[in-house]
Amino acid sequence: MTTITLRDTASPSGATPATTTGQGFRTATGGMIDRRRPLDFTFDGRRYSGFQGDTLASALLANGVRLVGRSFKYHRPRGILSAGSEEPNALVELRSGARREPNTRATVAELYEGLEASSQNRWPSLKYDALSVNALAAPVFAAGFYYKTFMWPAALWEKLYEPMIRRAAGLGRAAHAPDPDTYDKVFAFCDVLVIGAGPAGLAAALAAGRSGARVILVDEDHRMGGRLLADQREIAGRSGADWAADALAELESMPEVRILPRTTLFGVYDHGAYGAVERVGDHLAVPPAHAPRQRMWRITARQAILAAGAIERPHVFGGNDRPGVMLAGAVRTYLNRYGVLPGRTIAIFTSGDDGWRTMADVVAAGGQVAAVIDSRASVPAELRRAAEEAGAQVICDGYVTGTKGHLGLEAIEVVDTYGSRQTIACDCLAMANGWNPIVHLDSHLSRRPVWDEAIHAFVPGALPSGMVAVGAAGGAFTLASCLETGGRAGAAAASACGFAGAAPETPKTDPESIAHTPLWRVPVSKGKAFVDFQNDVAASDVELAHREGFRAVELLKRYTTLGMATDQGKTSNLAGLGIMAELTGQPVASVGTTMFRPPFTPVAIGAFAGHHRGKDFRATRHVPSHAWCEEQAAVFVETGLWLRPAYFPKPGESDWLETVNREVNTVRAHVGVCDVTTLGKIDIQGRDALALIERVCANPFGTLPVGKARYAVLLREDGFVLDDGTVARLGESHFVMTASTANAAKVMQHLEFCHQWLWPELDVQMVSVSEQWAQYAVAGPRARDTLCGIVDPGFDLSNEAFPFLACADVTVGGGIPARLFRISFSGELAYELAVPAAYGDAAWRAIMAAGSAYGITAYGSEALSVMRIEKGHAAGAEINGQTTARDIGLGGLLAKKKDYIGRLMKERPALVDPDRPILVGFRPVDRSQRLRAGARFLAIDAAPSLAADEGTMTSVAYSPSLGHWIGLGLIRRGPERHGTRVRAYDPVRDGDIEVEICSPVFVDPKEEKLRV
Amino acid sequence: MSDGIETTWRPRSAWAGIAPVGRHGRPGGEPGLTLTLREEFGLATLIAVKGRTDALRQVMDARFGWSLPDPGGANLTGERGLVWSGPDQWLALFEERREMAGLGQALEGLAAVTDQSDARAIVRVSGPDARAFLAKGLAIDLHPRAFQPGQVAVTALAHMGAQVWQRDAVPTYDLAVARSSTGSVWSWMSHAAAEFGYDVRNAAP
Repeated sequence: MTTITLRDTASPSGATPATTTGQGFRTATGGMIDRRRPLDFTFDGRRYSGFQGDTLASALLANGVRLVGRSFKYHRPRGILSAGSEEPNALVELRSGARREPNTRATVAELYEGLEASSQNRWPSLKYDALSVNALAAPVFAAGFYYKTFMWPAALWEKLYEPMIRRAAGLGRAAHAPDPDTYDKVFAFCDVLVIGAGPAGLAAALAAGRSGARVILVDEDHRMGGRLLADQREIAGRSGADWAADALAELESMPEVRILPRTTLFGVYDHGAYGAVERVGDHLAVPPAHAPRQRMWRITARQAILAAGAIERPHVFGGNDRPGVMLAGAVRTYLNRYGVLPGRTIAIFTSGDDGWRTMADVVAAGGQVAAVIDSRASVPAELRRAAEEAGAQVICDGYVTGTKGHLGLEAIEVVDTYGSRQTIACDCLAMANGWNPIVHLDSHLSRRPVWDEAIHAFVPGALPSGMVAVGAAGGAFTLASCLETGGRAGAAAASACGFAGAAPETPKTDPESIAHTPLWRVPVSKGKAFVDFQNDVAASDVELAHREGFRAVELLKRYTTLGMATDQGKTSNLAGLGIMAELTGQPVASVGTTMFRPPFTPVAIGAFAGHHRGKDFRATRHVPSHAWCEEQAAVFVETGLWLRPAYFPKPGESDWLETVNREVNTVRAHVGVCDVTTLGKIDIQGRDALALIERVCANPFGTLPVGKARYAVLLREDGFVLDDGTVARLGESHFVMTASTANAAKVMQHLEFCHQWLWPELDVQMVSVSEQWAQYAVAGPRARDTLCGIVDPGFDLSNEAFPFLACADVTVGGGIPARLFRISFSGELAYELAVPAAYGDAAWRAIMAAGSAYGITAYGSEALSVMRIEKGHAAGAEINGQTTARDIGLGGLLAKKKDYIGRLMKERPALVDPDRPILVGFRPVDRSQRLRAGARFLAIDAAPSLAADEGTMTSVAYSPSLGHWIGLGLIRRGPERHGTRVRAYDPVRDGDIEVEICSPVFVDPKEEKLRV
Repeated sequence: MSDGIETTWRPRSAWAGIAPVGRHGRPGGEPGLTLTLREEFGLATLIAVKGRTDALRQVMDARFGWSLPDPGGANLTGERGLVWSGPDQWLALFEERREMAGLGQALEGLAAVTDQSDARAIVRVSGPDARAFLAKGLAIDLHPRAFQPGQVAVTALAHMGAQVWQRDAVPTYDLAVARSSTGSVWSWMSHAAAEFGYDVRNAAP
């Protein structure tokens, strides 16, 4: 299919124009990109170039593209905030046509040759978005706006308001064609699962792996190393990145360590189960041939080490969403990992020592730092000195209060400790407001994180046994503590699994300082100060929620939609909580947090489905005659998992009814064969086999001789009918029970329960033989003649030797063991022949050949159903879990002299109420009228009402034997009312016709055809 | 209506028309997997008569030279032997069906013997990628530290009932599934095996 791509004619890049080939923001050297492998890509139809190793975000920044999307509600211009999976702004549609995927984070989309990306949520173009007028109406769109605004008139909600809001507040478009890719599932097991391959995770994996334990190391990034790839650090005298590469090389050499890059661990579940999705082919234009696009991993781990790291917090001030405003750690990532300086002139707004590290990296790379604004009053002198030496203005105890620029940052407004304001020109602002440990995963099992005042962040609370958080994910922010906690946890986890793990010596790292005083919002700023970028929730919305009483965190979340976007508020939640804490005058610890739930980042539904879609949604079971049925172009019907032939159209037959009528007429006049393999078959042996059967069946079996079969009705413990079938006695202590297709598994389970739990003392051996035997019903006046051509000579099939309800072991086809039962569902002279399933195909063809002289027809489930309705046999529509044996006309069969399951409970007053609906037959008074199953019975002159309801039509069929429609139904005191008339009222299909109550047995009531 | 009818009594393979013999999936190089379609084997369920398990053990040993496996075990020699399949239940495997004759009589009073030769379809999975392949469908740990030759599991393959036992350390596994479900089983297998490259063979009769 084709898609409409809206193209920009103007440069979408905002303040800084880029040429199509120039990567004007790329540093001359450095970064972990492969500069020998340029890659071309397009964004909104315009061509750009990047390098192997880039993400879409780093390549866009390299090309000076800062404007990448429009915001959710206000359609404000947005840029790239982060360099990881927490990104709230830079959501793009990736690829086109059937592979188009909305809401892809540009910060984690790996660049490949020919990548196509489009911005979202803008019209007609990113630069000129008509709906940005929403921003002018911002007061209308404040928190809770649709609860207040679109309440009246209610009728307009579905027709006008909802479609309007959906169009205005979109987040990309799904592909409208079937997904052409495939998805896999894998079950994996390990001793130690390490989540995250930064310094802590690598140290943990090394310590666990060296012990010989089975280790799985997952990381969402394609390149492992975490912040070691993004920061200029030293470990044991080498660069952090080199140390990570060496650690990975060692891990790769360990046979029991499995390394899964590009794999997001998205969920933690009970009993050590974890869900992860591996992006096998997302870094390529098209997944490799014979490989899935993504792979869903279900990992079972005895021990888990959470080393998922931390997410940096933005500052909340007016205009903090302008493209060019980024997280300070992301600036370092783009610079050190991707060789991109995200601005010509960079300013830094920090509330801790970490922001100064960004300054140092930018300066070291030759970038220009305009200013460092630190919200703290006291800043270490050596940090200030370094900045001043680099020519940067240093403002302590100051704030960034606003930003300027059209579609991207051009300047910031700053206030200093004396209240004096100034404007500083810059095209990139790096925000450093501290880091939040990623506590999402350890919260999935309903464990709430706890506030750690020392680091001003939530850290994991009490974790389930076998789970530990290390490194930044555990609140240990320094590199030295990452390596130490990781190594220690890796060794401990291995030891817990029985491996001799020893914590390695923690290697020496360069010194660092993580001092930090968080600033929940800039107190003196003007304009929209965004807390949640993706859902356009501003500080003013939190204030509104506070004013209106939505102060509890869960209410705050729902009222403002804070944290409810596809990023789950990874960069925003804490700021919202911090502001609420300020407003309510309580510590953040008392405000608490909302719950984190899986998945950590969005997961494609296709990955959950895996192979199970379309026809493979669930298994299909084929009957033994399936190949023949397909050759004959049978029409199939799904009954549970089984695919059964419904009817066999012949050339010239105009519709299904004509075909089914022919099949019924042929059976009634000549002979037909039907595949009834789908019935459940249970082999029951043992000294107490008969005793078990007596207890589970409601009708008596004590008198059943060897070589005979009998109809069987089974009740549930509560007295309702469970199922019906037959029991055949093949030997003194050998029986085979059949159950209906729908209830085959349920009856087997019931019998197993009765034997294993109720009466374990019985000497009974039971096993399902449903799959072993192909079973065919051969029915009609010429059934015996047909079978005489099938059963080997020597078996006497005469009525005298093999009467109604006889059963015997026979052989067919020259010695193939088979079983023959003279039972009938159609009311005709009929047999069921069971042959080993491998001979099912051959037996079917042999029956068709043997019956051809008598005009045999194959008949399907439709004709089978017509004939059972003509005979008044109850089936699934009547045995529906709400009927007793008496209700369906089987009361007379019930044993009086034995105990059985359901015997007492079926005598409950409501179940023996004479007013209960009982099974009878129905025929239209005007014989030309059609009956409808589901119709309700009403007295002729009664107005339709629940009180007037007398019962329901359960099954209907056109009877070719009678030439009109017939029905079975349950109606109050039915058997007493033969010959009287009622209405069959069917408002769903506009039916309201008169019907006559009659015997449910429409054909051969004296059973003269059955016993000949 | 005699059109399209043949009267042959040849057995039809559970895999007929479903699993095409030959090389499939990723082309080039050695296939990661060989899938061998087993045919004509004999298979019976043995369920010990109440309280007669020890007697059954002795008779199996004396008459057939087979030892009754403990729970989770499979004692096989070549294509013959016993595979545990539930409390006091085993599958007796034979290379050919006719070898099963007389089993019921031999075990009279000790075990119920029920022919299941046609109830199950068996595919033999072998090769360097056999574990990676089966890990896509079986929710059990097949690592050598957890599952070894001579072990069996009654489990599910991609939500379909299955019994799997390991034959050797290649590794080679036999996978038994319901005969009626072979179409869906194969649909899963051909999808899951594609990335490894796989050979489909018929077992030598």
